[in-house]
Amino acid sequence: MLALNMHRLLSSVVWIAIAALGATAFAILALTRGESISAAWILAAGVASYVIAYRFYARFLALRVFALDDRRATPAERLDNGRDFVPTNKWVLYGHHFAAIAGAGPLIGPMLAAQFGYLPGTLWLIAGVVVGGAVQDFTILFASMRRDGKSLGQMAKEEVNSVAGMAAMVAILAIMIILLAVLALVVVNALRASPWGLFIIASTIPIAMLMGLWMRSFRPGHVLEASAIGVVLLVAALVAGQWVARDPTWARWFTWSGPGLSWAIIAYGFFAAALPVWLLLSPRGYLSTFLKIGTILTLAVAILVVLPQTRLPALTRFVDGTGPVFAGKVFPFAFITIACGAISGFHALVASGTTPKMVTHESEARLIGYGGMLMESFVGLMAIIAAATLDPAVYFAMNVPAGTLGPTAETAARTIAQWGFTLHPGQMEALARQMGEATLLSRTGGAPSLAVGMATILGGVVRGSGLALWYHFAIMFEALFILTTVDAGTRVGRFMLQELVGHLWQPFGRTSWYPSVLVSSAVIVAGWGYFLYQGVVDPLGGINSLWPLFGIANQLLAAVALCVGTTILIKMGKQRYAWTTLVPLLWLAAATLTAGWQKVFAGDPRLGFLAHARLVAQGAGSPNAARLIFNDRLDAALALAFMAVVLVVIAASAREWWLVLSRRKAPAVNEAPFVESAYATGD
Amino acid sequence: MPPVTRPRSGFSASPGAAEPAMPGRADAQDAGGVRGALRGLLGVVRQIVGAPDYQRYLDHHAASHPGTPPLTPREHYAEFVTRRFGGGATRCC
Repeated sequence: MLALNMHRLLSSVVWIAIAALGATAFAILALTRGESISAAWILAAGVASYVIAYRFYARFLALRVFALDDRRATPAERLDNGRDFVPTNKWVLYGHHFAAIAGAGPLIGPMLAAQFGYLPGTLWLIAGVVVGGAVQDFTILFASMRRDGKSLGQMAKEEVNSVAGMAAMVAILAIMIILLAVLALVVVNALRASPWGLFIIASTIPIAMLMGLWMRSFRPGHVLEASAIGVVLLVAALVAGQWVARDPTWARWFTWSGPGLSWAIIAYGFFAAALPVWLLLSPRGYLSTFLKIGTILTLAVAILVVLPQTRLPALTRFVDGTGPVFAGKVFPFAFITIACGAISGFHALVASGTTPKMVTHESEARLIGYGGMLMESFVGLMAIIAAATLDPAVYFAMNVPAGTLGPTAETAARTIAQWGFTLHPGQMEALARQMGEATLLSRTGGAPSLAVGMATILGGVVRGSGLALWYHFAIMFEALFILTTVDAGTRVGRFMLQELVGHLWQPFGRTSWYPSVLVSSAVIVAGWGYFLYQGVVDPLGGINSLWPLFGIANQLLAAVALCVGTTILIKMGKQRYAWTTLVPLLWLAAATLTAGWQKVFAGDPRLGFLAHARLVAQGAGSPNAARLIFNDRLDAALALAFMAVVLVVIAASAREWWLVLSRRKAPAVNEAPFVESAYATGD
Repeated sequence: MPPVTRPRSGFSASPGAAEPAMPGRADAQDAGGVRGALRGLLGVVRQIVGAPDYQRYLDHHAASHPGTPPLTPREHYAEFVTRRFGGGATRCC
């Protein structure tokens, strides 16, 4: 009895201490203005919040809301087939799930949103994940796990209605197109005029093919062996890249313009989607998984060792909407710029894909769904720290398009001085030399500035040596998993298109019929390739129009997922707890619809697509006027279509909630029947 | 296909850190020492990155379809890759 009380007392003391640490960290973040703070406070605020949210809120969700039941056999146990349905240790599955949800998104979004200062991004990453993103992932994982691993689209159709199911399908296809375009744009901007970077990324293609052949024919199934070979070759390419960049002849071969690179990546996307998966997609997938986990762990350790000081202000004047990286006020644009890391609809696809088929006990969904997303938010915080440790003048010199900064370091310095930051003469040239690049001015898209931040932190561990190697390592790391997404995403789009057209003309639906494979791959690649190319030649820098579209699309998918989650809770008779998914849904709907409305109708031509089209139309007949106007109208139509889809899904779901709550409809859930688990229960 | 309730044989429900990668693979423990630990570790890595485990397939095959010849390593890998990567959406941005 005494021991029990002591235990409870000790536990209370520990939790009060964690809460106090978190509160202190938030106080320091909130009250510090105009002076530098240690990155440790950003980490402390985040980690304390995560730990408390996991202990209390996730537990509440698991026990009260979902009533997870370890006596109930999971699909992994019931349907175990040794292939996709496999009972998996919870920590292993945690790593597996995290590797599937984390990519370039949580790194790029916070870097771009840093134009508002580090504070808005930090607060949104922490609050968004605790109340929104982690809840969404956990809810969808739970729902799919109770339905033999059904996908989000299937659940929308069965639990809400076929309109919502169709809307979810359209949303997934649209988000895929925009996602691929914007990620490809990030890669193009990172590799433009960078022979070292391009050499490494080009080398990954033969390296991946070699690995593919190794795993398929030479040593079937030996993934780890092939990956080890791949990593060694990759490091060799990383080191050799500097000699390529130094040699005038070789450097010329690997120095490409933006449009040239975008054609190359379009061609790559086409072949990657049409080639068999074992040759390119799966080896690249393994390689980028290893690199991702390794780099994120290394970066976390480096940040803890170096504990850098912030140089970026907590808040900049650009919260008023005049930001040069992308236009729009902090609300709603911070909340759609940072999607992955706070809440990302895309995760609902993973949480209703491979993961639910591998959970051994129901209770483990809390660690994997909620806990996995907390880890991704932590990755977002690392990106914020990388941005915050940059000199603000350098941050803006790198992330603002040439259309605003002008062509030279002098024009850039003059523009940046107007914003209150000082770019010293020769500073950018010196930095570019340190990083082994020709220039770092207007290298928009977030990846190069993230790489400079990462190189500074990682180089800081070894006293600032090898910055150029670290910089190109960071570029390689980002480009590698973006290209993996380009492969996989194009293929997903291809399958969806084949299925869709297959309803009209059956032969097209045969996924391995080559004419259909080629045509559907070409259509999908043309879809994202069009937006990519327009983004590359856009005088405002394509990020300004494409990233918000991507954010809106991604958050729209999250809204669909939360609608499905709320519907399931209400049908389970848990309407008392429906606020857990309803609150993030309302916030997302408010932010996404406001942002969409402003992107279409705002009077500021930097913000509103239609205002920009009018400005171009009034201007002195530029040769590109017709094309620019068409693109503005296309973007506006797309944003409106996204908003319409959200509204349709919300309306369809709300109707279903009303029918069930007013007892006009029996609350039937389509869960798989209860089968008692043969595994011992308890954790 | 009706859901099959499998008894616990060959798989421990709450695998400990040393064992999870190779449920039902007795040699992991028998090898003992550094080799056993290393093998266990590689098994964990294999599962995290989603690599196929041929031994696990053989165990499953022997338990569920006795008397039929299992796939060769090459066939098993080809089938695994198509299943896992063929559909596409297994990862996020």
